[in-house]
Amino acid sequence: MRRRDLLKKMIVAASTFGLASVPYAIGRLMVPLTTFDFSNHLRPPGALVNEDDFIRACIGCGLCGEVCPPRCILFEKREGGNGVNTPYIDPELKACILCQKCMDVCPTDAITKIDIHEVNMGLAQIDRTACYPWVDRGICGACVNICPLGEKAIAFEFANMYRPYIKEDGCVGCGICVEVCPHPSLPIRIVESVQGTVTRHNA
Amino acid sequence: MNNNIKPFFLWRHLNKLRWVVLSIVFLMLVLLPFIHVYQTFVASFSYDLLDESEKFLFDIMEAITSPFVDDPAQELDAIKGTTWSGNFFGYQISDPLAVIGQLAASMSIYWPFVLTALVPVIFTVVFGRFFCGWICPANFLYELNTIVSLWLQDLGIRAGHRKLDRRMKYLVLAIGLGLCVISGSVLISIIYPPAIIGRELYFAIALGGFGSGLVFFILTLLFDLFVSRRGFCRYICPGGALYSLLGRFRMFRIKRIVDNCNDCAKCNAVCEFGLDPLHDDFGQECNNCTACIAVCPTDAMTFVVKIKDEGNQGPGHLGKQYIRLNQVQGKQDAAT
Ligand code: SF4
Ligand code: SF4
Ligand code: SF4
Ligand code: SF4
Repeated sequence: MRRRDLLKKMIVAASTFGLASVPYAIGRLMVPLTTFDFSNHLRPPGALVNEDDFIRACIGCGLCGEVCPPRCILFEKREGGNGVNTPYIDPELKACILCQKCMDVCPTDAITKIDIHEVNMGLAQIDRTACYPWVDRGICGACVNICPLGEKAIAFEFANMYRPYIKEDGCVGCGICVEVCPHPSLPIRIVESVQGTVTRHNA
Repeated sequence: MNNNIKPFFLWRHLNKLRWVVLSIVFLMLVLLPFIHVYQTFVASFSYDLLDESEKFLFDIMEAITSPFVDDPAQELDAIKGTTWSGNFFGYQISDPLAVIGQLAASMSIYWPFVLTALVPVIFTVVFGRFFCGWICPANFLYELNTIVSLWLQDLGIRAGHRKLDRRMKYLVLAIGLGLCVISGSVLISIIYPPAIIGRELYFAIALGGFGSGLVFFILTLLFDLFVSRRGFCRYICPGGALYSLLGRFRMFRIKRIVDNCNDCAKCNAVCEFGLDPLHDDFGQECNNCTACIAVCPTDAMTFVVKIKDEGNQGPGHLGKQYIRLNQVQGKQDAAT
């Protein structure tokens, strides 16, 4: 008899436990984890660089998005797995202007206030087999002109006044150069810092 | 006659005030995303490039906000955010659940963030689960949903009245915090209605398109309609659980003045959380919403400063007469 009681109790306990987890299961099922391309998925400036740390810290309040003047901060709405509701920036749609408002407003340490030159969202990379001036298809330089950090981050090559090149320790990866690039195939994009500034063509 | 406590005449109007507060909070959550869209337009200096509908929005928002601010791009930042976490003239206020969830997920303490929950925690210790009744934007919709369930009843569709165990929500809270630790993310917010409402409104208005939270919220509405009235708040909501725990020894609580009470049970009928004011059973789940005070025909409900509920005080005067009559009847029966 004793054993049966114990068994009964365990079953009841297990089923209440199961029942109480159902809401989380439903909620989580609705946000499948999809893999994303880094270049379309930058974290806001001042964000913790380690992705796991960032997801741990962010409460998904949306405040960073709500103050962003160009409204470039988007949110994982229907995917993102455990990172659901966390902010990201797709520079091909709209890029960060490094105004630093999100750094001021984030209540958690997911985004903290740092110097504009310390920002590390990624690194711009130019595909020299497509960029207009690099393939001698005219003059452009839109990226160089728009960069909020100017000469420190991106400049023209000495030999050809219009060929842009990125300075690895100056560029912070804000992506506004990507937003303005007029080339349809976007030869400029943001990559993880370790990948360097020049596209490896035969990799 | 117990003359110590008198009902204070203003208490019965608190319920109206509560609806005003709830509506203001909800309207703010709708207005803030529009303000942000408007700020974007202002910041881009491109009024002439906007299309017709955008110009329309711009004009409306300008009309609404221009009496208050000169520089919309900057000054409209004074109030931002949602009830999950917001900025109020430089004060950051966050939901205690956000703080606890983040502590669990990151397993570290970031004091500036923890302190943002101080004010809500103090208010909860004093007023109990007041957030649920007075602020929560989901509660606003849930109470309207209760009205829908009454309509359905008129149409002959039975609303659910299943009873579950109230302690379930504490387990939900515990499991949620456990999941935060395991997953390393603040997962608790995906099932917390006030957080969902705030961000879904922002997503829908400023970013064009709802997220998955809306689906979850609709499920909770259906749960309330067809399984248990106000069931989500009573049995599942992890935030409600946290607020109940924090407000367990609240200082302000509602008390029945037994001498005025005539046992009509109207208070029980209006209690959204299905508590039992008629038998003095408020408990930690009472959200001080004052609906029972407002509905009581004999002013038998009032606020008192006390950290514990009175035990069951027995029936009110009609009930007492009834018992007395019964006793008299019983004696007569015995005599004959
Ligand atoms: S720095 Fe400014 S523009 Fe960039 S993401 Fe933050 S708020 Fe937006
Ligand atoms: S403001 Fe901070 S906590 Fe809130 S969504 Fe943005 S990064 Fe996350
Ligand atoms: S080079 Fe591009 S990504 Fe780098 S800082 Fe300049 S604009 Fe931003
Ligand atoms: S229980 Fe949750 S959803 Fe219900 S009113 Fe309270 S906080 Fe809002």
